[in-house]
Amino acid sequence: MPSFNIDSTKANSYDAIVIGSGMSGGWAAKEFAEKGLKTLVLERGREVKHIENYPTTNMMPWELKHGNRVPYDLKKENPIAAKCYNFMEDSQHFFTKDKEQPYIQEKPFDWIRGYQTGGKSLLWARQTQRIGDLDFEGPARDGFAVDWPIRYKDLAPWYSYVEKFVGISGEYDGLDTLPDGEFLKSMGLNGTEKYFRDVVAKKYNNQRHVIYGRCAHITENKDIFIQQGRAMCQTRDLCRRGCPFGGYFSSNSSTLPWAQKTGNLTMRHNAVVHSIIYDDTKEKATGVKVIDAHSKETVEYFAPVIFVNASAFNSNMILLNSKSNRFPNGLGNDNGLLGKYVAFHNYRVSVNAQYEGNLEETTVGRRPTSGYIPRFRNVYKQETDFLRGYAAGFGASRRIEQSSEGLGADLKKNLTKPTYGNWNVGSHMMGETIPKEESTLSLDPEKTDQYGIPQLRINLDYDDNDRKMIKDYIEQFTEMFEAAGFKNISINDVTDKAPGLDIHEMGGVRMGHDPKTSLLNKWNQLHACKNVYVTDGACMTSTATQNPSLTYMALTARACDHAIKESKKGNI
Amino acid sequence: MKRRTALRNIGLVTGGLLLMPSCNFSPDRVPIVLNKLQITTDEEILLESIVDTILPETDTPGGVALKVQNFIWIQIDDCASPEQQASFLSGLRSFNPLVREWYYDDFVSLDAEKRLEILSSLLEAEDTPKPVYDFLNTTKHTSVWGYKNTEYYLTKLMPYQLVPGAFSYRTITINPNEKINTNA
Repeated sequence: MPSFNIDSTKANSYDAIVIGSGMSGGWAAKEFAEKGLKTLVLERGREVKHIENYPTTNMMPWELKHGNRVPYDLKKENPIAAKCYNFMEDSQHFFTKDKEQPYIQEKPFDWIRGYQTGGKSLLWARQTQRIGDLDFEGPARDGFAVDWPIRYKDLAPWYSYVEKFVGISGEYDGLDTLPDGEFLKSMGLNGTEKYFRDVVAKKYNNQRHVIYGRCAHITENKDIFIQQGRAMCQTRDLCRRGCPFGGYFSSNSSTLPWAQKTGNLTMRHNAVVHSIIYDDTKEKATGVKVIDAHSKETVEYFAPVIFVNASAFNSNMILLNSKSNRFPNGLGNDNGLLGKYVAFHNYRVSVNAQYEGNLEETTVGRRPTSGYIPRFRNVYKQETDFLRGYAAGFGASRRIEQSSEGLGADLKKNLTKPTYGNWNVGSHMMGETIPKEESTLSLDPEKTDQYGIPQLRINLDYDDNDRKMIKDYIEQFTEMFEAAGFKNISINDVTDKAPGLDIHEMGGVRMGHDPKTSLLNKWNQLHACKNVYVTDGACMTSTATQNPSLTYMALTARACDHAIKESKKGNI
Repeated sequence: MKRRTALRNIGLVTGGLLLMPSCNFSPDRVPIVLNKLQITTDEEILLESIVDTILPETDTPGGVALKVQNFIWIQIDDCASPEQQASFLSGLRSFNPLVREWYYDDFVSLDAEKRLEILSSLLEAEDTPKPVYDFLNTTKHTSVWGYKNTEYYLTKLMPYQLVPGAFSYRTITINPNEKINTNA
């Protein structure tokens, strides 16, 4: 350990350190600060204050200089970030630029990062589906990865706890495949989506369900939201700009200001975590080594409890880079499995079509969610030649056709006389992928970034299971669309779309029962270093098909509760 | 008779008739500030004249009054690739010489009706040189986009609401007599 004087240790000491201020880090900050712990949140990016630092949030379309198109140079300098569907003129400032953190793609992987206050919680798609026992029991039933050390009953109260604070718009669907939660009013499926729901229910004897996609938007006024300074979703559908109403959940609008109000939170920005400090004599982690992004100076902070919420792959990086005599291969990595068994969600393919019915209806307004089809393959038993299955998004919108034929006065007339066309209908696959030992993250032995931190090597790819699943999704959705009389069915399999753009990378520090085969126990503590918890996507034993952020939040709140209790008992 | 020959003949008859186009030729005109493209005031005036032909002033404001020409310049300057920029400028620069060769006058000097005929013809004729065709096609589509992105269009013609309010999204039965707002 480097030498330091006692005073600076004291000044840099807290009750808890949280690495990362995004979706899960924000929750750790809230839980600890609320319970009276002096909490330090380390954020490697710049400060983004709620509302104040949302520069485009109130801009009218004509105020965007490039009509929301990304300028050529920006695109060219950021070939990775610019691939993200949400990287636009009005949101590009919330994406980490490629040169900030180079990494090595052993196989193509588009790593989308959002280093700033709130992390990617400013940019997420806000879909919040619970994971149930059909998914927690998946690895054990199907013989892959390891058994999850928890079941739905362990997490259910924490899902409720989180949902009541976040605000989830949803409908009570009563499905085994997707447990219900604490819901606020639904913004509704439209007429054509309901038609498809009914066709699918009938054709598959109520074994397939088209439901309203549960989302983190406030749709009822409640005291808990007023206390957070958040108002109802105004259906602007401009979430990527940051919401001045706090209509959708982000750390910036919700957990971080909540933690701030307690007086127990210290936020440190531009703090790039180099590693976690492990004390061989105390046999526990004692602090975090940080590099200031601007001055490049090294600073150390100390706390008895450390939460790692740096985003799935970054949390892996930090642990891999935390080397000590006790842990020469990375913190907690006695079994050599740290960085292994990473996985993602397969978002490569969509099926689109047109519907020529329901022409007397249309929709008005902008809805920040869509329909959702929970997994219906291999649900109760193995029934296909691939493991697990896929959920899908589903949405319908009425086409409005506007001719831009002609020139002069004719053209101007055409531009004011739109007509209704058919309905566009579309679905996109969200496939579970199987975490495998050969899917790895590792640190490059030579190449480093601008802070002297070894670059991450990513080795992750589609496999045969994914390809079979894609084929099945295409067949099943073609059949479902045909049953509904949809026409011009088109299949869009973007075969060169690398993993990563799902922004659901997971694993590498997986939870499990056994220290020989997993890194974290059922409380998200490192088996071999109990005062370090990992509660972001890195902890995931399997990926399920659900959008994972809600699960990270629930796991975090649960782990904080555990850490506080263990701390009181003197166990950590 | 080929369309081009016919138009040329019309050009002979009416080409001399000059109506003042709506462009600003005054010497104190402030040039647009661009990052990369090197363009002359004449080229700015020419693009303005083309935009004025594509989207003229009628009972509603035209493209030039709404500064659609600036939107096009900024798109080409900031968002186009170097190849697209070169192609655009080459088309722009061969456009007027072509008009002079075929119609015996500068595009900007012709009256609105004649300019409209020329643009329609060049966008339809099979023998329009590719650089000119591509330039006009890009200019037209960018004009349409820019026009639909103007404050005028988004407030007066197809009103856009930045804050629609809670539960603005709903399914409605279409009233065939009601004008469609693409931004509703």
